[in-house]
Amino acid sequence: MTKESDYRTDVAPVWCPGCGGFGLLSALTKAALPNLGIPAHRTLIVSGIGCSSRIPAYIDTYGFNSLHGRAVLFSQGAKLANPELTVVTIGGDGDFFSIGAGHLPHAVRRNLNVTCIMVNNFVYALTKGQTSPTTPYLQRGEGPFLSLQNLPPVDPVLDMVSYSVSTGASFIAQGIATDVPHLTRLIEEAIKHKGFSFINVLTPCVTFDPPWLFKTIKEKASYLKEGEPVGLPDSSKEQPWLHDPGNITLALKLAQTPVMEKPHIGIIFRGRTA
Amino acid sequence: MRDRLTIGIAGTGGDGVVVLGSLLQRLAASQGYFGQMPRYYGPQIRGGSSAVKLSLDTTRASLPTDTVDIMVCFNWEKYAELKQELPPGTDSIVFYEDAPPEGSLDLPRQSFQVGFSEISKEMTGTASAKNIVVLGLLERILALPENLSESAASHDHALALLEKNGVALHAGKHLLPEFPFDELRLSPPKDATARTVLHGNSAAAQGAIRAGCRTFFSYPITPASEIMEEMQERLNHANGVFLQAEDEIAAIGLALGASLTGAKSMTATTGPGLDLMTEMIGLASGAEIPVVIVDVQRCGPATGIPSKSEQADLNHAIYGGHGDAPRVVLAAYSVKGCYRLVVESFNISEYYQTPVILLTDQRLGQATVATNSDFLTKDYSLARRKRPGGEHQEQYRRYEPTEDYISPMASAGDEGLTYQATGLAHNDKGRPSFDFATNQRMHEKRWRKLAPLRDRDDLVKLFGREEVRKGIVAFGSTAQFVLETVEDLGLEDEVKVCVPELIHPLPHRLASFVGSLDTLLVVEMSYSAQLHHYLRSQIDLPSHTASYARAGGSAFSREELSGPITELAR
Repeated sequence: MTKESDYRTDVAPVWCPGCGGFGLLSALTKAALPNLGIPAHRTLIVSGIGCSSRIPAYIDTYGFNSLHGRAVLFSQGAKLANPELTVVTIGGDGDFFSIGAGHLPHAVRRNLNVTCIMVNNFVYALTKGQTSPTTPYLQRGEGPFLSLQNLPPVDPVLDMVSYSVSTGASFIAQGIATDVPHLTRLIEEAIKHKGFSFINVLTPCVTFDPPWLFKTIKEKASYLKEGEPVGLPDSSKEQPWLHDPGNITLALKLAQTPVMEKPHIGIIFRGRTA
Repeated sequence: MRDRLTIGIAGTGGDGVVVLGSLLQRLAASQGYFGQMPRYYGPQIRGGSSAVKLSLDTTRASLPTDTVDIMVCFNWEKYAELKQELPPGTDSIVFYEDAPPEGSLDLPRQSFQVGFSEISKEMTGTASAKNIVVLGLLERILALPENLSESAASHDHALALLEKNGVALHAGKHLLPEFPFDELRLSPPKDATARTVLHGNSAAAQGAIRAGCRTFFSYPITPASEIMEEMQERLNHANGVFLQAEDEIAAIGLALGASLTGAKSMTATTGPGLDLMTEMIGLASGAEIPVVIVDVQRCGPATGIPSKSEQADLNHAIYGGHGDAPRVVLAAYSVKGCYRLVVESFNISEYYQTPVILLTDQRLGQATVATNSDFLTKDYSLARRKRPGGEHQEQYRRYEPTEDYISPMASAGDEGLTYQATGLAHNDKGRPSFDFATNQRMHEKRWRKLAPLRDRDDLVKLFGREEVRKGIVAFGSTAQFVLETVEDLGLEDEVKVCVPELIHPLPHRLASFVGSLDTLLVVEMSYSAQLHHYLRSQIDLPSHTASYARAGGSAFSREELSGPITELAR
């Protein structure tokens, strides 16, 4: 069994105390990678640019901190050239959904066996608080987002599922950085999945998110369990259905639930393998 | 009897202009004739004007002459769009289908109206074999062997079309009962070895395979797409990785990802694609990742003229991007060079761990050339990446200082050598480091490791007598026009020519060539004279230095270049 120490470098993270990045780092180095027993040299972690993208320097596998929005390209190129590598792509919400959004549907349709972990903290944190494509709609005076000046539109929580309808993304999950054991299981399932896998990790930014934001998410979070009724927002008049991660139509309904009303945590969809 | 002839063919897309030219070039090549066939087409790429200009030569792959000896025109309206490329001479012999619009053109004395379409219809039931009728006529004029088409078709699958069109071909051979063209017969070739026919884009793809490239990523763009298409075909057979990316950023990103695992990786594009790749080129330079980028230059800026050559990506290739990001820039000037320099690009890129940009241009990329095939079969030495040895286990530092500034590079997947790299300023281990001294040292490393390239004399071609003190510098397809013009003017003893294949870093041999001159002429297809300014920024130029520089959009002609070259020799 490979130990955690085998997966951490001696570099100290630059993150603020309490950053959700620590949860992901723990899930990967203390649990998912050792549990799966993937040798460090057979693992490549590629990131983009942003707070979370500093992560390759902290994990003693092969790592590459690439360009803003482009991490998934390096991942696919490396996987194609050396299929024996386990390739994990890590980036933020701006990275995956804004500057790099054009690459995502193509990564999805190619369905290469790479895992993408989007550290979604709802804000551009590295550049100090601008809106990201996942910043929730807020009323004036509701919090410290710089975005208040512009009142950004609401983005769907998981555009990835919408993509999947047309392109057949094969694994989509949503985790929460504060529940490391659960996040670990999602990462393990995603890596084991033979095909393109995507995990949206709801992550607190202790510096730039208004404190109530993540508090709300934690309070309202609902864990998805296969065969059990799904949680629905209080406003919903629908009858809860039994969770079936193989059903793309139900997955789409889950994805369209506003994250501030009912964040679904778990495997949302698991489809065809490569 | 002629040792050399130029044939022009013009029409609209669908007239079979390129097919006709290609068939004639291949048939002649099977008999040992050399030659070049540039293609000209309108900006709409499909359905517009289409023309070729084919040289047939008994001894070498010379350029077509400025004016054509024989011209075939299927459509005068489309011809008018490409007239600058195919000016008829007063002695040209012209065959045409319909009379030119009144007053639009003075036809040369020997012009013949022939109903190629009608004959084709009569013989085959459709007009679409009219180009084959013309082929028959041209075969007879050039006095190619009687049963050539039949015999050559069995050896060359590209000629298989002829087997089905024997009737049309036969009809073409028996046109014109009066046949006043004896003077246009081709002399027998110097030797009858069949020549290989390929364009620069094909040569570049074949060179990549030869160099060991098995991962290729690209996005379609005129005039570079043929490289992608051929790589797709060849990598399919070679069990390699081919992927048509979603854009050029993706193409080079995928290539760099593959390179991290140790794969020799390439992409091909033209100006607009190179623009998109620029951020990645900086990353490849900074993080020292090998990658080869072929830029088949076309007219810029912006969309420019996609179907026409220019040499104005030079600045971008050398300097493009923010920060100080050294890279290597090579430029091919012949179809053989497209092949050899792709191999060389991989050697340099792998050995020096740097992006290499190989400049070709639309002319080189798309003109098919019939030439000796020796370059396809000769030995090329292949350089390898410096890899960490056993002593690096446990203590591997990706960017460790070395005497030659080149650090051993592990491939993702190598046991015991994990490292983390970044586009951030970094230290020996590849870890982010924002310390000034480290940053300065890493810049030194990346620049100084390339210095030995300046001694690569073999990548600078010199022509003419060494003691001469008048000289020309030109690169890319322009160099071919310069060399042939100097020869046509009989100035080989008075003017020498330097053709750099390595442009950046600037080779010493180019510097000494310029240093040996009293008078220098720099010829290039760039309105702002990018090569001239590059040279001026790097070395002292003679006080008598002239620049002949203009925008792309029309090929250089000998007539055009004889002005500045005669002036230089005066």
